[in-house]
Amino acid sequence: MAKLDGKKLLACCANGAGSSLMMENAIKKVMNKYGIKPAELRHCPVSEGKTASRSYDVVFCARTFAKTFEGVEKNGTILIPLKNVMSAQEIEAALKDAELLD
Amino acid sequence: MSTVLQTIVEKKHYRFIDGEGVTWQEAVRLSAEPLVADGSVDEDYYKQIVACVEKYGPYVVFEHNVAMPHTQENASGAHKTGIGFMVSEKMIDFGEDEDGEKKEANLFFTLSSTNPDEHMSNIQQLSEIFVNDALLDALAAARTPEDILEAEKNHPCEEGF
Repeated sequence: MAKLDGKKLLACCANGAGSSLMMENAIKKVMNKYGIKPAELRHCPVSEGKTASRSYDVVFCARTFAKTFEGVEKNGTILIPLKNVMSAQEIEAALKDAELLD
Repeated sequence: MSTVLQTIVEKKHYRFIDGEGVTWQEAVRLSAEPLVADGSVDEDYYKQIVACVEKYGPYVVFEHNVAMPHTQENASGAHKTGIGFMVSEKMIDFGEDEDGEKKEANLFFTLSSTNPDEHMSNIQQLSEIFVNDALLDALAAARTPEDILEAEKNHPCEEGF
């Protein structure tokens, strides 16, 4: 059983319309490659994500926004900041680093 | 169905500039002009994009000198979903990101979105284009709309990864 099965994933960017959607697509590719079925995968603006992050297991964002999410680990949320938001390779590598992918 | 690049050419949503001495704010305005021309966005629409980049930094500039200036969905002043494509012969300086890394762009895909389905399709296609280095190089060298179509024909995006 993959570690991300049944987990709730959130992708955030400034507007919740451009790069977060690209992130969501890239995350989907990684999930498909590993046959993982998250309970939820959605995108939203950083402003909403900060509060919403509490109810998600993993939050992805561009590195610019990482400081916005400082402290989310206290709620048990894992933050994955990305340099290139549309790179499925980077997402795959980051999830492996976080020991969320085998 | 037309690809985003074909649509850009069909709708004349393209522009080619020299870029010498052009600020990034001005470049964003210029890239949105073809969208203004057919009423896809209002003349002032670009100001929201500029404000957003000023607030959050040049996060809209991705790898390979590609900029995707945009604001939120259904922003005021946006009337149709579309992409303003611009090639600048000179690099446009966007300053530095949070790591002090210099950000510059010569390819612009400026977004306007009012229709979620069309926007989703645009973003999906752009995601593929932005990781297709050969296509990006060919687009950066494009000087005419025919060059855009030729670039896509020679370097099609494949479902990869």
